[in-house]
Amino acid sequence: MANGNDETWDVIIEAKKNLLSFDIKELLRYKDLIKLLIRRDFVSVYKQTIFGPLWFLFQPLMSTLIYMFVFGNIAQLGTDGIPQPLFYFSGTMLWTFFATNLQKSSDTFVNNTGLFGKVYFPRFAMPISYMVNALFTLGIQFAFMLIFYIYYIATGYHFVPTGWILATPLYIIQLAMLGMGFGLLTSALTTKYHDLRNLVNFGLSILMYATPVVYPISNVPVKWKLLFQINPVTPVIEMFRYSFLGNGNHDLRMWLYSLVASLVIFWIGLVTFTYNEKTFIDVI
Amino acid sequence: MSVAVRVEHLSKEYRLGVIGNGSLYKDIQSWVAKKRGKPDPWVPIDERSKIGRQHFWALKDVSFEVEQGERLGIIGRNGAGKSTLLKILSRITAPTSGVVKMKGRVGSLLEVGTGFHPELTGRENIYLNGAILGMKKADIDRNFDAIVAFSEISGEFIDTPVKRYSSGMFVRLAFAVAAFLNSEILIADEVLAVGDQKFQEKCIGKMRDVSVNEGRTVLFVSHNLGAIRALCQSGILLEHGILTMAGPVEEVTKRYEEELANG
Repeated sequence: MANGNDETWDVIIEAKKNLLSFDIKELLRYKDLIKLLIRRDFVSVYKQTIFGPLWFLFQPLMSTLIYMFVFGNIAQLGTDGIPQPLFYFSGTMLWTFFATNLQKSSDTFVNNTGLFGKVYFPRFAMPISYMVNALFTLGIQFAFMLIFYIYYIATGYHFVPTGWILATPLYIIQLAMLGMGFGLLTSALTTKYHDLRNLVNFGLSILMYATPVVYPISNVPVKWKLLFQINPVTPVIEMFRYSFLGNGNHDLRMWLYSLVASLVIFWIGLVTFTYNEKTFIDVI
Repeated sequence: MSVAVRVEHLSKEYRLGVIGNGSLYKDIQSWVAKKRGKPDPWVPIDERSKIGRQHFWALKDVSFEVEQGERLGIIGRNGAGKSTLLKILSRITAPTSGVVKMKGRVGSLLEVGTGFHPELTGRENIYLNGAILGMKKADIDRNFDAIVAFSEISGEFIDTPVKRYSSGMFVRLAFAVAAFLNSEILIADEVLAVGDQKFQEKCIGKMRDVSVNEGRTVLFVSHNLGAIRALCQSGILLEHGILTMAGPVEEVTKRYEEELANG
């Protein structure tokens, strides 16, 4: 072999060895791509539609109305003294953010087989762009929730927001990590077992009822409470409502547990994802 | 001349047949049966006697080097391992063993129009596709007009969604983006099998130009020996995953033709 060619190589391709081979520098090099993917997904949702971006509000508003009717009026579930529209809207909004992240990241490989089979770029660009899109949607919905909020204040409703309101970005990050973490974890399995996608969708709709989206955790009988709080999404939603509305349950220990759980789940998801991204195309 | 691509003892193994049983439920049944020492209920009877899994080496111990600025043609019959080699070089799948080292940025073109979104306009797709191929936004900005000119699409269509394009326009636009890929190493599959004769010649000409003028390395796979001869200086021949010949393109294509003639 020729010698004198021992300079640094820019690209080295070998069999997969390392468990965690996540390359953040590589990802940053593709930041223009990530921006364009975000734009593509955002724009393609409302091209050739009547209501355009209003669809981002339509879905949570309809859910809120239905929850108000079914759970608020027929089932008479309490809301910890929080006005029903605010209670349900904040719950659905946060839940949808978590669920979208989970669903989208778990479909990363299945939905992009054509693309991933033809060209290389850091695969993690996809879940990241899905997450940012969900974040935009959440932003729009959050702004809308604030309008509600101000309306209630203007009509003489008395909220006692707490200092925890400043932790809102942390709640969002937590939900993103939880959703992506679970999603990335299942993404590797869905390449092999295609029926797992149905399980993910079904599981999510069940899990929503194990999360205080349509009822406050204070409604749950004491003996079942711990079971509901093991669900790491629960403390985040409860903390969010507590921060803004001053009412409701807040359990700091459970929230800290949820914070640790999000980090752990995200890390596990990331490891599984990076381990599988190199050869998933042979399995799918 | 320095080496731009060095491939050392590259092998890729595939498992034959169905991977798993296709569903988690069946895999769990197979696993339980194995644990209890019973025969796997999901393995067909006639295969139970076979021991172990069937393996297939798509590439076996392939080594070669490509100099910087060299244009290398990769030839071989269907199933010889050409596509697998390109997939590994393009980092779409990892090898089972062996190492590939490359100097410079790698751009691969296994297909044109990868990631084109029908709802987006020609302009938006140029940016999206360029970024997918690894270009920076600034690179695309700089080359935008040249890309549109190369695609021969008139300016009035560039802001129309590509779903309204004719298939010819679509392909020309897609290749035009790829033609301005400014990576030091270009890996191309049968992408030239698209477009009419005239456009194909234009594309080959473009690939040769960038290699000659800018010293770019090109790895090119095609069944079209005419295109290989027109573009490449050297060639490698793959047969059943094994590299059987490497040398000047004339000799390698000649040997390949003789083998085809002999069956």
